Amino acid sequence: MPVLRRLLRILVLTVASLVGFVPGHSIAAETLRVLAWPGYADEDFVRRFEERTGARVEVTFVGMDDALWDKISAPGERPFDVFAVNTAELQRYIDAGLVQAIDPAGIPNVKRQLPQFQARDRIPGLLREGRLFAIPYAYAEMGLIYDRRTVTSPPDSISALWDPRYRGRVLAYDGGTHNFSLAAMRLGKPSPFRYRAGDWAEAAEQLIALRRNVLTFYSLPEESVELFRDNGVSILFANYGTQQLQLLRAAGADVGYVIPREGALAWLDCWAVTTAAKSPVLAMKWISFMLEPEVSHALTTRHGLNNTLQAPADEGAASGKLVWLEPVEDSSRRADLWHRIISGERAVGLK
Amino acid sequence: MRRGITFYLMLLLAVFGVLSSTLAGYASYLKSRELLVRAAENELTGANQALGRKLSVALGEIARDARMIARHPLAATICSSTRPVAAAEGAMADIVTATLSVHPEYFQIRVIEADRHGLERVRIDRIESEKNALQRVQEADLQEKGHFPYVFRTLKLGRDEVYLSRILINHERGAHAALGQPTIQVATPVIDGGENAVGVVVINVDLNSLFNLLKTDLPAQTSLYLANRWGDFLLHPDPGRAFVFDVGGRELVQDEFPATATLVNGDGEKVIVRGSDRGRGHGAGRVVGSFQRVPLDRSDGESFLLLGLSKPTAVVTAEADTLAWTTLYIVIGASVLALVTAIGVASTVTHPLRQMARAVRRFSRRREITQLPTGRYDEIGVLARNFHDMQLQIQSQMKELHARHEELEHLARHDPLTGLPNRMMFFERLEQSLARSRRSGLPLALLYVDLDRFKEVNDTCGHSAGDAVLKATSLRLLRNVREIDTVARLGGDEFVILIDSVMELDHVPQIAEKLLTTVVEPIEFEGHRLTIEASIGISVFPTHGQSANDLLVRADRAMYRAKSAGRNNYSLSEVEPE
Repeated sequence: MPVLRRLLRILVLTVASLVGFVPGHSIAAETLRVLAWPGYADEDFVRRFEERTGARVEVTFVGMDDALWDKISAPGERPFDVFAVNTAELQRYIDAGLVQAIDPAGIPNVKRQLPQFQARDRIPGLLREGRLFAIPYAYAEMGLIYDRRTVTSPPDSISALWDPRYRGRVLAYDGGTHNFSLAAMRLGKPSPFRYRAGDWAEAAEQLIALRRNVLTFYSLPEESVELFRDNGVSILFANYGTQQLQLLRAAGADVGYVIPREGALAWLDCWAVTTAAKSPVLAMKWISFMLEPEVSHALTTRHGLNNTLQAPADEGAASGKLVWLEPVEDSSRRADLWHRIISGERAVGLK
Repeated sequence: MRRGITFYLMLLLAVFGVLSSTLAGYASYLKSRELLVRAAENELTGANQALGRKLSVALGEIARDARMIARHPLAATICSSTRPVAAAEGAMADIVTATLSVHPEYFQIRVIEADRHGLERVRIDRIESEKNALQRVQEADLQEKGHFPYVFRTLKLGRDEVYLSRILINHERGAHAALGQPTIQVATPVIDGGENAVGVVVINVDLNSLFNLLKTDLPAQTSLYLANRWGDFLLHPDPGRAFVFDVGGRELVQDEFPATATLVNGDGEKVIVRGSDRGRGHGAGRVVGSFQRVPLDRSDGESFLLLGLSKPTAVVTAEADTLAWTTLYIVIGASVLALVTAIGVASTVTHPLRQMARAVRRFSRRREITQLPTGRYDEIGVLARNFHDMQLQIQSQMKELHARHEELEHLARHDPLTGLPNRMMFFERLEQSLARSRRSGLPLALLYVDLDRFKEVNDTCGHSAGDAVLKATSLRLLRNVREIDTVARLGGDEFVILIDSVMELDHVPQIAEKLLTTVVEPIEFEGHRLTIEASIGISVFPTHGQSANDLLVRADRAMYRAKSAGRNNYSLSEVEPE
C-alpha cells in the first residue's frame, strides 16, 4: 500500500545514504555541475572523472539553445559550473557577463587539439578583447550530400542547389538564418552573417529561386532521410552534417559528402565556465578531461560529431573550408522573410 | 518474568498470527489492485479503439469532401489552363465557400495547379480576426505551393486517392486563421480527361476541433495523447509538451512511456503502458494507459498516428487503497486477536503444568497431595492422573516403611518374649528418671527381681514352661506397679523395676512384699501347677548411688543378699561407708 511503500522507500534511501556516507566519498564534498548537450557527457566518462578527482559531478542535459540560456542566465541556488555552447550563442553570454575568461594554461589537453583549434584567435567569437572565453570541443559542418548514382561528378559549389538539372530533386533545410547565409555565400558576399542594406532583395530572389528548384525543405534529420529515399533526391543540404550522412548510409543510400568551395557553415560547440562557478579549477579539469583522446574520440564514434583532436575521416569533409557560425545581423528579419518565401510568395516586396 | 515456555509459545503464536494476517492482507491488496488496473486497462483499450475508429471516420469524411471538389469538372478546367479563367474560378469559389461554411473545422480549401510551382488558383480562407468569416484570396496574394508535400506528393496519386499531410503547426504566411495552429492537410489530385494529374484540392483542417471531437465521450479523468509516427506528441494533457518539435525540441511518447517504443518501431499494433517512471514534469505521476497505432492510408509524413489514453494509477486504484486501509484495520485487529489468543493459549497450556510443578514441590517437601487437573481429557489430564496415582502409591509405600521402622525400633528396645523393655531401653528410662529426680528432689527406687530355681523349672518342665513362667511373672509384675513405673527384663530370669518419683520411701518395701506375694501364686501350664519364688534387691537414689550403673549394682548385690538369706525375700541395699 502506498504508505507502507513510501515508508519502505524512505527506509531504503536512509540506509543507502548512510552506506554511501563512507569516508572516501565524504572528503571530496566538491560538486561540479555540468550543463551539456546529449552525447557530451556520457555516464562512463563522468564516472571516470569522479573517480579520478574525487569530486561529484551532476550532469544536466539540454536540447535547445533557449533552454540553455534560461538555465545559465537564471542560475538560482545551485548554479552550473561549466556548460557547452556554440560560438554564435556564446556571444550573448559574454555580453551578459555570465561566463568568465579562461587561461588555457589551466587546460593541459588543449595541446592535443588540431592546429586550427589551437589557433583560437582565428575562430570568431572565442575571444573578446584578447581574453579567451571558451574552449572548442565538438563541431559539425553543413556540407552537401549527393546521390552517387544520379550525380556523376561531385558538386563543388553551393550553386548545385540551384542547378536546374536537379530541379525537384534537391532537399534544402527549412531555416531562415542558415538559408540567408547560404544565399550570401552563393552571391560571394564578404560575410554570410552580416547583410548590408542592399543585399536583402537580391538574397530573397535567390531563395525564391531555390524554393522553385527544390523538392521541399526538411526540418529533422530523419525526415530528410525519408524524403531522400522516397523521392529520388539527388542533392541534399546537410544541415546536420556527417550525422545525417551516417543516417542516410544506415538507410542504405549510396551517398557522397562534399564541402563546397565556398565553404561549409559549421557550428562549433565549446566548453565555457560560468562566472557563478563555485570551483573554476575543477571546471578547467573537466574541460581538460573532455579533451582526452578517448573522451573526445567518442564524440565521433558514438555520436557522429567531429571532435577537435582528429581530422574528419570522410573523404569530402577532410579538406574543406569551414565557416564558423556567428550571430547574424538580424535573425528575426531573416526568419520573417524566410517564412514569407517558404509560404510561396511570388515576390517578396522589400522597402 | 523468566522467559519460560509460556513466553516462547506466546511469541511463536503471536508472530505466526500477526505474520499470517499481514501477508494475507497484503496479498489481497496487491491482487485487488492488479485486478483494478487490469479492468482499467481493458476499459482504456476499448475506449481507445473506439477513438481510433472515430478519428478514421472523421478523416474519411474530410477526404470525401476533397474528392467531391476534385471531381467537379470545373476543377480540371481551372488547373488545365495557365491563364485565369474568371468564370470557372468564381463558380469554384462558390462551391468551396459553401463547403467551408458547413464545416467550421476546415480552415481553408484550395485548388492548386500542378504547373507554375504549384500556384494557387482558387483559395478560400477562414479569417479569425473577422469572426471566422470566409475570404477569397486572389491575384498577387496567391502563392506557389509546389514545394509542399501536399502538392508534390498528391500529384503522384491516382484519381480519388487521398494524401494526408504530417500534422504540423501551420507556418504558411497568409494562411489567416490557420496560422500557428495545428493543422493537417487532406489533399486529392485533380485528374483531367487524359488521366493526368493537373492539380490538387487541399483542405486544411483545424486539428484543435478534431481533437475536441475526440475528447468528447472520454471516460472520466482520462487523458488523451496523440503522437506522430516518430513519437512526437501532438496532443498531450500538458499543452506545453505537444508540438515541441515545432520549436526545435523533442517530446517523445517513447520517452514518457517506454513500452510504446514497439509501436513507434512498427513492431506492434497496441500496447498497455504502466507507470511513467521517466516522466518529466506532468507525467511524473504514475498512470496506466493504452496506446495503439491508427494506420493512415496514403499519407506522406504520417503512415500512422499513435493514439493513447491514460488514467492516473491513483484514480484507478483508489478503491484498492480504500481496501488497503480496511485491510490494515483488519490486520491490526487480527494481530491483536492473535496476540490475545497467543497469551490465552500459552497460559491455558502452561497453567496446568505450573499447577503440577507446584504439586510436585509440595508433595516432595510435605507429602501433601494437592488438587491436580485430573478431570481433563487431554494429555495434561493423563499426566495429572498418572502423577496423582504415583503420589498415592508413594504415600502408601512411605506408610509401610514407617511401620516397619517402628516395629524394628520396638524390637530393638523390648524383650521379644514378654514384651517388656529390654536392658537398653531400661537404661534410657533410668537415665531420664535420674535426671528428673535430680531436678525434682524426689527419690527413685530400683527393684532387682531374680526368680529362684527358675533353672529347675526349665530343666524339669521344658523351655516352653519356662517361657510361660516368664510371661506370667512379667504380667504380675506389671499389674502391681504404677503406670509410670517401668518393668524391664534384663535377661534370663532377671527383671528390674524402676519406681519413679517415690513420695514415701517406706512404701518401697511394701511394693517388694506385694510383688513377692503375687509371684508365688501358682501358674497353670498344660495341666501342671507351677510355683516359683523370687528374690528382690532394692536400691534407692540418691541414697545408694548416683549413677544408673551404681544403683543397679547395689540393687543386684542386695538381691543376692536376699537370696542367700533364704529366698522369697527382699533386701534393701545398705549404705556403704565412704
